[in-house]
Amino acid sequence: MQAEAQGRRIVLEIFGFLPVIIFVAVLIYISFNAPNFLTLRNLELVLMQSLPVVLVCAGLAAVVMAGGDDVVSGGIDLSIPATAVLAAGITAQMLSLGYPLALCAAVAFAASMIVGGLNAVLVTRIQMTPLLTTLAMFVAVVGVNNVVTASRRINVDHPWITVLRAQEVGGVPLGILVVALLVAVIFFALHQTRWGLNLQAVGGSRDAAEISGLNVNRFIAQSFILAAFSGFVCGFFILARGSGSSPGVEDNLMLEMVLATFLGAAFSPRRVVTMWGAILGAILVAAISIGFKSMGVNVFWTGLIKGSLIVLVVAFSAISQRVR
Amino acid sequence: MTNFGKAIIASVVVSFAAPAWADEHVSLEGKTIGVAVVGTQHFWDREAFNGATSTIEELGGTVVPVDGGRDNQVHADNHDILLNNEVDAVISILGDGAVEPKFEALKGAGIPVFTVDHPSPHAVNNTTSDNYYMGTTIGRYMADAIGGEGKVAVFNAFEGALRICGIRTGLWKYVLQDYPGIEIIQPELAEEFANAPENARIQTLDLLSQYPEGELDAIHVGCWDQPAIGVVQALEEAGRTDVLVTALDGGPDTLEIMAEDGSPFVANVAQQPNLIGSTAAMNVARHFAGETLLPQTYVEVVPVNGQAEAKAAYEQLGYGTLE
Repeated sequence: MQAEAQGRRIVLEIFGFLPVIIFVAVLIYISFNAPNFLTLRNLELVLMQSLPVVLVCAGLAAVVMAGGDDVVSGGIDLSIPATAVLAAGITAQMLSLGYPLALCAAVAFAASMIVGGLNAVLVTRIQMTPLLTTLAMFVAVVGVNNVVTASRRINVDHPWITVLRAQEVGGVPLGILVVALLVAVIFFALHQTRWGLNLQAVGGSRDAAEISGLNVNRFIAQSFILAAFSGFVCGFFILARGSGSSPGVEDNLMLEMVLATFLGAAFSPRRVVTMWGAILGAILVAAISIGFKSMGVNVFWTGLIKGSLIVLVVAFSAISQRVR
Repeated sequence: MTNFGKAIIASVVVSFAAPAWADEHVSLEGKTIGVAVVGTQHFWDREAFNGATSTIEELGGTVVPVDGGRDNQVHADNHDILLNNEVDAVISILGDGAVEPKFEALKGAGIPVFTVDHPSPHAVNNTTSDNYYMGTTIGRYMADAIGGEGKVAVFNAFEGALRICGIRTGLWKYVLQDYPGIEIIQPELAEEFANAPENARIQTLDLLSQYPEGELDAIHVGCWDQPAIGVVQALEEAGRTDVLVTALDGGPDTLEIMAEDGSPFVANVAQQPNLIGSTAAMNVARHFAGETLLPQTYVEVVPVNGQAEAKAAYEQLGYGTLE
């Protein structure tokens, strides 16, 4: 009887690790079939391509941690990618008109904070659902960006922006270092400070946090501001990566942000959204899509393969959580 | 049909009957060629891609295909993957300024870049349609269709971003300088790159409510014709028969619309995307065979003026028969 229970537990444990096992298996398969996949240069490529997603994922993870991880009623901020393209659009447009970069960045920063502030007010004061609020905000902010850029591509070759793509420090691209530093700071703030622990308490149980005297709305509002800030920084990486602002970047970024963040939850032992999980998710999604492309997989099939893989991982995660 | 049109179609038929490379002994045996395409949702992109990949395979080469999903940024990033794969050459189809640093990196690594519809200082050769002829022809056809005067709205998101669009729309405007009675409505419209038909449909409905019956004569799409599908839908929805539509590309989807009775879509210039892609692949092979290529290779286009020519072009380009 006891042996049976133990056996069941072991099976459950293995089941819980399945998402990780599937991903590792796919990566091993790719590394045998794609040329130069297991090289430092490819690792650098994977990291460089995932930087914008990593940034917005860090912001989204903070909002989910403060608002709770129920996708419908908990904390979510779908507007971050729109904030990012707005910051990029404002900066690109102002640079093309000849304004100094510092002024462009200041205006982009102000615009990003307005988006974050509006989200915060709508969610905490007017008590709107974050999912709908930020989805509407996404549409509105993209609309503002279309006005700012006239829906046109704007080239940017400012040296301070190009360094994020091209400069290396000690053999490591500067962009990777900057994002790593930012992520480390956000992680420290969320996990090692009293503020961060309180913010997590708010997301864990709103009622308990209120009873213990925490100002719940303040933490939720701050998480939206932090998310908007991550979008602001991401805007510069979008400019660097694309040497300018191209219309339409936000859609793919939003899709990848949501996928990576909730896929990341499947990797965490307690199946909750964490910052590391989200970042790992972002990097793994980039690695797998680069891998499939390197293997020369038929372009008409890659979307289906990627989508199926993600559904599979999340489904196993959901099953193992239910069985527990 | 004009004699000139017939001459062009005849030359196209000849080139179909005897592919340019039939008598050449070039090969891509043992070569791996990366083919980066900005998207595969639209006929033009897909056909250029198919033309390039099938010709590479016919010539004995191996293809590493990457698809940008109609996102210029993803398309640009895909070139990094080809660089990392150490392919022997890259064919890059469309794309905006975001690809330039990627081309530079490929060139720096000794990988020659061949572009389609994207002239670049870092590319060996660009294969494209005769964009100059496209721009002036559609300008003349549109001016004739509206009787040389009237108000025209233009979808023109890419004139400043893509050189091919700069040529096409710029020369369309150049022709209109000789028609002082034609006014281009300001501000110009900007269509979305992804999801273009639906986006253009909505923008056209707004435009039509702003310009009631009799105040708008034509809507032109400056660089391609996917938005024109949405424009025609909007005109039908609004019950407007006073507005004509002109655009460029002429794939089977839009030629079918032009071939309908009473279609508002009256003029187009059809390209041969499959032949363009295929020619780009041939150019790669010629390059490896030691030939010196000119910076641009132009592929013939087929002007399409009105319903009858749409049906004829549809058949001539091998898309089938329209009744």
